[in-house]
Amino acid sequence: MALKENQEETPISENPNGDEEGGEESQADGVGDFEDEDEDEAEEEDEEEEARSEKSRESRLAEDGSKLESMFRRLASEKVKLRVHDVLIKGNTKTKDSLIEAELEAIKNATTMQELLKAAGIANHRFHSFGIFDSVGITLDCGPPELPGTVNVIVDVVETKNPLTGDLGIFTKPEARTWSLEGSLKLKNLFGYGDLWDGSLVYGWDQSSEISAGVSLPRFKGMVTPMLARVSLLSQDWLKFSSYKERSLGLNLGLISTKRHDLTYNLLWRTLTDPSQMSSRAVRRQLGHGLLSSLKYTFRIDNRNSVLRPTQGYAFISTSQIGGLVPDYRSLRFLRQEIDLRCAIPLGFYRTALNLGISGGVIFPWGNGALSMPSSLPERFFLGGNSSPVCTLGGPTTLLGFKSRGLGPTERRRLIRDKSNGENSETSGRDVIGGDLAVTAFADLSFDLPLKLFRDAGIHGHVFACAGNLTKLTENEFRKFSFQKFLDSFRSSAGFGIIVPTKLFRMEVNYCYILKQFEHDHGRTGVQFSFSAT
Amino acid sequence: MDELDNQKLTLVARKPCFGLPTACPSCLPVYIYLRFAQVPFDLSFNLIHPDSDQIPYIESGAYVAYNNEKGGVLESLKEDGIIDLDSQLHAIPEWLSMKVMISTWLEEAIMYELWVCSDGSSAKKIYYSDLPWPIGKILYFKQIHAVKQLLGITKDNAERREEEIHRRATIAYGALSTRLGEQTFFFENRPSGVDALFLGHALFTLQALPDTSVLRSKLLEHSNLVQYAEKLKTEFMEAGSSSSSVPRFPAEPSSSTSRRGPSNWSSKAKSKPKREKTEEEKTFRRRAKYFLVTQLVAVLVFLSLLGVSGGDNEVDLDDEDDDYNY
Repeated sequence: MALKENQEETPISENPNGDEEGGEESQADGVGDFEDEDEDEAEEEDEEEEARSEKSRESRLAEDGSKLESMFRRLASEKVKLRVHDVLIKGNTKTKDSLIEAELEAIKNATTMQELLKAAGIANHRFHSFGIFDSVGITLDCGPPELPGTVNVIVDVVETKNPLTGDLGIFTKPEARTWSLEGSLKLKNLFGYGDLWDGSLVYGWDQSSEISAGVSLPRFKGMVTPMLARVSLLSQDWLKFSSYKERSLGLNLGLISTKRHDLTYNLLWRTLTDPSQMSSRAVRRQLGHGLLSSLKYTFRIDNRNSVLRPTQGYAFISTSQIGGLVPDYRSLRFLRQEIDLRCAIPLGFYRTALNLGISGGVIFPWGNGALSMPSSLPERFFLGGNSSPVCTLGGPTTLLGFKSRGLGPTERRRLIRDKSNGENSETSGRDVIGGDLAVTAFADLSFDLPLKLFRDAGIHGHVFACAGNLTKLTENEFRKFSFQKFLDSFRSSAGFGIIVPTKLFRMEVNYCYILKQFEHDHGRTGVQFSFSAT
Repeated sequence: MDELDNQKLTLVARKPCFGLPTACPSCLPVYIYLRFAQVPFDLSFNLIHPDSDQIPYIESGAYVAYNNEKGGVLESLKEDGIIDLDSQLHAIPEWLSMKVMISTWLEEAIMYELWVCSDGSSAKKIYYSDLPWPIGKILYFKQIHAVKQLLGITKDNAERREEEIHRRATIAYGALSTRLGEQTFFFENRPSGVDALFLGHALFTLQALPDTSVLRSKLLEHSNLVQYAEKLKTEFMEAGSSSSSVPRFPAEPSSSTSRRGPSNWSSKAKSKPKREKTEEEKTFRRRAKYFLVTQLVAVLVFLSLLGVSGGDNEVDLDDEDDDYNY
């Protein structure tokens, strides 16, 4: 009889007794008693269901049920030794053998049945994660009759018929500050190396648009984690807030990407322009072209029980970025560090939870004369916006109640004298120029609402308080920096609201009251809506 | 109280080289004009935006005069009543035609020499030496293409255009040489805008263009022009400014706030001037926005309560967790 581990992309209803393989005929026998028992217990762990007459399946139910119990007992008590004799790969017309074989090393080296099954399960999951197979079946068959205690492993893959897929959705990426609408086309396995090509068009809520193309290779020259490369053309319009427009053409390489660690390299040609011709002096000095070559490392631990409504657990994220890695002294050189700490404490009743969080970030340039140079404008920190601090993990960015880029250092824009009035009336706004040191903190108490209707729909309420501050350190301002002054100039807000999770996005309706703001900040007391992608 | 009083002028121009305080042919005349006016100013350099048509610009506090507005920096200064060396010269018909001749024919000739017919070493040094290599290279080729389009040069008519440009430059030099004669300045024995423009052109041609340049050799044929350039250079640019006058900012309102469209070197789109909204319109728009958002929220809440469950189906490959826990 044959042993099978199968996994398919469509959801499968599981038969709790796991007797799907009961009807299969064995093609080789006489190798040993232990084989039959092994087969049965493997069937029980199998998730795949084949077409079979229901009557015959039912008749085997009782029989296999008792077999399973005895198998479990055996497995728990004994180690079943065996050796893998051969691995056969079938069904791959386009995919290269080397890609599949690379995942089977653990299977080849297995010495016991338990190890073999575990390795088979992991390999199955890996194949599934490539995204290029419709189904993968790993079958364990008995080895040649003259070699006892051996198994042959047969990997059966079914490649996707249609390599081209399209997608349209609303996403939020870790590096983006707000949510965005994205349409993409994906081409799978063009060269047989498990390569995934995609082209996408993204339109962000903060008036940014991006067109990009990328490729992802699950295995690149022996590296275990997938390698990603992406070329993108991004355009962002900050005219309303800071009188500049940003356009960048960049190459992004994802070098290491695991659950906890992320290392990416970025090569970017960035151009800042001011078509409005109203920018302030600080922004005018930064208009032009720049080359950014940077390495970014992110360390992430997130064991909260939910991203959208955490009620337990904690999260810690540290992002370090160093720019100016090319020997060319003319590229942008800076060091940027962000830290996020979140913690969720359950309070026991009505699913109430207290969420606390603090985020901080600092940037400063390095190199000759760095202390007196300004930091690069797009790399600075800007605070404001209505995205939820509970869900947003990406450095100090959000402060409920304040508009996007709504607080921090500002500078007077260009003055244009208005001739139409009799007197010298001067109209001049202010540019938000961001800061080099930013800190935000919040406390949020979320709870279920009394109505069962709301509870079932996932609608819950929350009460929150936020605080944040932003200051400049470069151009020798750090000499005047005082911790006390920084603490005294913290802006803060508090409020309450209702959160409505829908299928497409998560919506918050909040009433914010600004507790403290300064002269040129844009905090507004009142009802506000905020959206984040699910 | 006018906040612009007693604020020093700052001229933002491109980098100095070839022995010139600023080597860009459009920035140098502005520098010279300020020196002629004997106005104290700071010189600041922008090294990262070679394709900007805003440079050179003059700033003082919150006041800025860009080069792509109102016909140029010098015109802006005149119009805003800050510096005007040509106040009585508008009546002389020759003054305007000389000015236009220098600004069109001679400027085209310089553009041609810098970008099209030379090996580009001068241009690269002036505009791209402070940009990282790949960016500099790409912008350089982009600029060559833009200049060729502007001058109407194609593969077929390249030689004809070159001849035409050089012929015009010769005519211009001849006319200027005749007009100048043995005088120190072109008009009324005092420095004017025409002097600033031509001196900038002449110094650039003599110092920044290579010896093999045709334009340079044509200029050298007119000894009085060369002497004029040398003399004024010594007098105004090398002998340090001895002026103690304060920049004048009389309280005259400037003209309209319209922003000009893109000029030659920029290929980026400019935003249209925004219409001033009245208070009522702003209130109306805000209220309309609130109304629409409230409607949307009501629809969403209704849909949720109908039993549409919270988001679970959007698959985002980027967020997929690779680990598989046994």
